[in-house]
Amino acid sequence: MTDTAPPNRQKARLNPVLSRYLQAFVMPKGQIGLGLVILLTALALLAPVLFPGGYDMQTRDSLLPASWAHPFGTDELGRDIFVRSIYGLRTDLALAATAVPLSMIIGTFLGLSGALSPRLGSLVQRALDIIVGFPGLILAICVVLVVGAGWTALLVAIVIGGLPGFGRLARATFLSQQHREYVVAARTLGVSNWKIMVRHILPNAIDPIIVQGAVFVVAAVFTEAALSIVGLGLQPPEPSLGILLNVGMRYITMAPFYILGPTLILVLLALAFSLLADALNSTVNRK
Amino acid sequence: MISFLLRKLPSVAVVALISSAIAFILPRLAPGDPALAIAGSDATPEQLAAVREQMGLSKPLIQQYLDWMFGMFRGDFGQSFIMRRPVTTVIGSRLESTLELAFLAMLLMIAIGLVLGVLAGSPRSKWARVVLDIMTTLFLATPPFLTGLLLILFLGIFFPILPISGEVGFFEDPWLALQFLILPALALALPQAAIVARLLQTAMNSARGEDYVDLAKAKGVSPGRITWRHVLRNSLGTAVVALGLRAGDLLAGAIVIEAIFARNGLGSLAVYSVQSRDYMVLQVLILGAVILAVFIQLFSEIILAALDPRIRLES
Repeated sequence: MTDTAPPNRQKARLNPVLSRYLQAFVMPKGQIGLGLVILLTALALLAPVLFPGGYDMQTRDSLLPASWAHPFGTDELGRDIFVRSIYGLRTDLALAATAVPLSMIIGTFLGLSGALSPRLGSLVQRALDIIVGFPGLILAICVVLVVGAGWTALLVAIVIGGLPGFGRLARATFLSQQHREYVVAARTLGVSNWKIMVRHILPNAIDPIIVQGAVFVVAAVFTEAALSIVGLGLQPPEPSLGILLNVGMRYITMAPFYILGPTLILVLLALAFSLLADALNSTVNRK
Repeated sequence: MISFLLRKLPSVAVVALISSAIAFILPRLAPGDPALAIAGSDATPEQLAAVREQMGLSKPLIQQYLDWMFGMFRGDFGQSFIMRRPVTTVIGSRLESTLELAFLAMLLMIAIGLVLGVLAGSPRSKWARVVLDIMTTLFLATPPFLTGLLLILFLGIFFPILPISGEVGFFEDPWLALQFLILPALALALPQAAIVARLLQTAMNSARGEDYVDLAKAKGVSPGRITWRHVLRNSLGTAVVALGLRAGDLLAGAIVIEAIFARNGLGSLAVYSVQSRDYMVLQVLILGAVILAVFIQLFSEIILAALDPRIRLES
């Protein structure tokens, strides 16, 4: 990948925390992952510039096979499926960019809440166990049931679905650090519980949580796709990768590229973030 | 064994009770009035009240909940609002399709998981190890719906070998039914099998470092026998627990898989009930899914106790 810059050594010396993460992009898998993430994000961000016609430009040429003019062919209304896939990617990345940080922050806070009060900590843990009890999509469907299908339901479902993962990582750090000398010392000196949580325990928990964040982007996009395929996610005409798959299923024998195109983009997206998470994980564990 | 089960009974009862309350409350939190949906949007308030009265919706919630619970003990699961048939009939007509799918998927998950795990957990050449590793990672990273779509594209459309849409009852034509079942079952099973394989591989690698393996080696036991008799036997516990835990996810995956392969099972019934806000069907489905997951987990604990006498003695 040529579009990944090598870590800036000048900067690295200035900021030791950042330089540790930048180490990940020295590895080939980190470079490929970052390159793909940049490429996909750039496509998604620049979609209105690259394809000024928008995702709803209808023509008379419906269900054309793949060609140079239309890499994934056209859909039932003669719209270019490649363009729609890029706009779909835009929707999915926007969703992930909203939901993943939210889930990360709330989940981490919940996991560390034991630092504020031990009883709160174990109560939160009990609540997270209930969430884990609902397997995968069933949790998301329960959210759709209460909130009603759409963007909000997806956002809530993804945020809630991620809480146990982030919470467990933060809780593990909290449990291993809470009796360390420096925490006890801070407590003896009268540092407030809140400050102990944020200033002393949180920095120890941040590494695995960032890795989990990269892993969870993939899970978030897959949740959108799965729910939309079933018909309980986003609703047409808003393009998302899941909606394209949902509608494309009806034309699969006539236009296989209708499915193959968005699937390819989903696979690339999953590959990009998995490689990135993998590279970050091995850097963080090297210490 | 019986005392082991008796000790588990209270916690199962508590989980069943809590999940029944959740299954009852959740659909009722949803916006929209089912009485309005049935009576039509131009119904007069009197008609609405009559419909509510007839469906038992005018009673207080706690009364409705108790009616539902006691009804289930008598075998009366209530009436579907939308389909106007008993819930048992509605679910019964869809049960066979999902059972067949889940059963075959489970078999495939066990078979593929064990084979991949044992292969990866035994001494292999470097290349075999790399290939196995890539395979497991790939299966692990691809959720059932993506695997399903790729299987449909490659085995159903580019190389039309297997049917991709619809179903045939197993007892009508077993051979044809299997052809319809194999792709969805495989799509469901592969990601879960990869998780089982990973865990089994890790357990086997750590078992290989134990003293009794060195002793067996020193005695001159053949490598194959060491793998099967010493390492695998002591790693199976992990695999069994993993299988029990994955079963719930496998069921949840069936919802999307049924949609993709156009099967009329419980998953598509659940989606339809969410869309049409059919509480009575939904509450039974949610409760059923949670209880089933609990029982599968219990069953895996029983197998675990049978495999490892220490667990029976300790608990």
